[in-house]
Amino acid sequence: MASTSSNGNGSIPDNVIRTKILLTGMRRSGKTSIHEVLFNNMQPKDTFWLETTTRVRKHHYDTVIPLEIWDCPWNAGPETLEISLVEFAAMIFVIDIQDLYQQPIAKLVEWIITACTESPDMSLEVFVHKSEALSEDYKIENFRHIQQRVLDELADISLEYEQVPVNFHLTSVYDHTIHEAFSRVLHKLISVLPSLEDLLNVFCAKSQAPKAFLFDIHSRLYVATDASPVDTATHNLCCDFLSMLNAFGPLYKSVSASPARCRKPLPPSLPTPPPSSPESGHSTSLPSTLSPITPKHSSKELFYPSASTSLSPSAQGTTLTYHLVTPQLALVSILPTTVYESRRGLVEFNVVFFREGVQEICDVELDGRTLRH
Amino acid sequence: MGASGSGKTSMRSLIFSNNPASLTARLGATIDVEQNHVRFLGDLILNLWDCGGQDAFMDSYLNSQRSTIFSHVAVLIYVFDIESRDTQKDLEYYKDCLEALKKYSAGARVFLLVHKMDLVRGREREGVLGKRRGELEVESGGMQVGVFGTSIYDESLYKAWSRIVHTLIPNASVLSKHLTKLAKCCSATEVILFERTTFLVIATSSPPTPPPPPTTTTTASSTITSPTTSLPTSPSKPNQPLSSTNIAETTSTDLVDDPHQLSPTRYERTSELIKSFKHSCSRFVREEFHSLELELGEFSAVLDELTKNTYVLIVAHQGFVETAALKLNIRLARKKFEELQGDSLISS
Ligand SMILES: Nc1nc2c(ncn2[C@@H]2O[C@H](COP(=O)(O)OP(=O)(O)OP(=O)(O)O)[C@@H](O)[C@H]2O)c(=O)[nH]1
Ligand SMILES: Nc1nc2c(ncn2[C@@H]2O[C@H](COP(=O)(O)OP(=O)(O)O)[C@@H](O)[C@H]2O)c(=O)[nH]1
Ligand SMILES: [Mg+2]
Repeated sequence: MASTSSNGNGSIPDNVIRTKILLTGMRRSGKTSIHEVLFNNMQPKDTFWLETTTRVRKHHYDTVIPLEIWDCPWNAGPETLEISLVEFAAMIFVIDIQDLYQQPIAKLVEWIITACTESPDMSLEVFVHKSEALSEDYKIENFRHIQQRVLDELADISLEYEQVPVNFHLTSVYDHTIHEAFSRVLHKLISVLPSLEDLLNVFCAKSQAPKAFLFDIHSRLYVATDASPVDTATHNLCCDFLSMLNAFGPLYKSVSASPARCRKPLPPSLPTPPPSSPESGHSTSLPSTLSPITPKHSSKELFYPSASTSLSPSAQGTTLTYHLVTPQLALVSILPTTVYESRRGLVEFNVVFFREGVQEICDVELDGRTLRH
Repeated sequence: MGASGSGKTSMRSLIFSNNPASLTARLGATIDVEQNHVRFLGDLILNLWDCGGQDAFMDSYLNSQRSTIFSHVAVLIYVFDIESRDTQKDLEYYKDCLEALKKYSAGARVFLLVHKMDLVRGREREGVLGKRRGELEVESGGMQVGVFGTSIYDESLYKAWSRIVHTLIPNASVLSKHLTKLAKCCSATEVILFERTTFLVIATSSPPTPPPPPTTTTTASSTITSPTTSLPTSPSKPNQPLSSTNIAETTSTDLVDDPHQLSPTRYERTSELIKSFKHSCSRFVREEFHSLELELGEFSAVLDELTKNTYVLIVAHQGFVETAALKLNIRLARKKFEELQGDSLISS
């Protein structure tokens, strides 16, 4: 247990089945950096000081599903792991985009082949990493090249390997690509994903939100989103919104004001009348699709942190909202500012419904993973 | 001013042009003097002279151009690279500049920025800066100088620049008084005023002062029935009355009587956080940051436009304060502050 570290808020019991993710790749390819930046809030610049990993380190992270991430030293192979590959839900192989490709590709192919026989259900992911170091054209060229080499080598060994689904992602800890890639890896591991997506779809439709994400707050990975396509720019902005909020909280934390202020949310009210501002003309023309969803049971008297920020271009502004859903998860949604300002009560009402749904799903999920003696 | 490569143009582009730190590596050396007029607080025009630091330019500033460069200077900001290879030469140039400044702009303020502090590992920073500060104060030969450690990669740059611009705002203490009033109206812990484009802090409300020192405030202070006075964590320390003139020096450092003991770096961190989020908004969705509302477990806060040229942040720790109320108060305070700001600039 000495090599196991745990973060999260500790509400998840020890006797729970964790989903295991294997993080492997050549020396200094960036495995530890990826783990530290995503799950330990390390600044990308500070990864420079990380020392080479010499033995497997197992990290726990609690989000919608409890994770156990194995950060391997570069010389680990399928045969040196203490457990079978079948125990892992996903393998992420990290390749430095500027590395001489011969060695890492040989190693990756070895992993894939073992995985195919030992653990055919495991998802196979390749992070072509440190991509920010190259210019746009060169980056894409290298990425294609690596991808092609891997597929060619697999086909050379046996034609049956040609069909192996291997997913490639361009990543860097210096931008949001690592968040987006890791999120996509995570989605495949969440069995309750369709239910979460349904809730998000309903939320978006009822609240007139063009986009909504359910984010893991600390890692800023999104665990689910609604059915509309993910626009990278919007995703990046939501990530930055979260990181600003994460940093803002502690800055104005008081040593003496009671932390549990027991702030009771106002009872979610029906749409408030639009304020008598010059823009109120907009809100009267809202389509009548806005309708409250009725929660199954009345909201518990709990306080959930929330935030919003409004952006204003010349034409029509956007508001980003943030609502805590569970201790680890928050709903981040994009709304037209006119909608948010005139129908805030309704949006909050829909959040309550959404929150109850997610909490229920999380409870069921955790319950199914808890070992009973 | 400062040696070539010390980071002058980088910090200017961060503070005044909203560029991210990552882009500064592309800057070329500044040739001669780059003059920039930046509008600050709307009507106050700062005339920034970014003086390329290569030796040939420095020699010319100190000789043929001496009177042009050093006349009508309100503030001299001298930047020292912490990794400079020739600190002796840096100091020689610096002392020469100081001489010229004394002659041509006797009243000018001097700020020394020990820059690129990020290159020093975390726990050594304080020691390294302390040593440099000592040296620089000696070299300044009795001249009052403000020494700051800075880096474009953290909030330290905002702290230094907030102090610098603060000296240029004639009526900062009046602003501060009205912010304090606003704080009281809102039952807020703190109210902070930012300049709109740079997001530098220009004034803050003064901290609640329990128990009120009899000498500093008028009877008005006795009407504050702030629950903070009765909190156990506020020991009765000797009072250090804040005179309105030195508020610039005391506001963002440790507030001894503050029962909340908020993070001492919060002002510059807020500037940095909002600046970087503003940047994300324009970069990713080409929209402009407009306002922020927070209802967190420990506090509620609203950040919104106050006047055409300023933003205000109100932070309240009392459970019953709703952000809607804070927003309303901001709206009500707008007119007063527009007036104040107009006055303060006319009187300058
Ligand atoms: N590590 C680090 N590098 C910095 C910092 N500030 C600036 N730099 C880098 O220093 C280099 C020189 O910066 P400039 O701003 O062009 O320097 P300058 O003082 O304007 O130089 P001249 O115009 O020649 O006088 C750039 O590559 C910056 O990225 C800092 O705080 N930390
Ligand atoms: N340019 C760049 N460098 C990175 C990135 N990720 C990690 N690194 C650097 O790569 C080096 C090795 O990282 P480390 O995580 O220790 O690699 P590991 O041996 O695979 O665990 C460190 O110096 C990191 O700063 C990235 O996305 N871009
Ligand atoms: Mg320059």
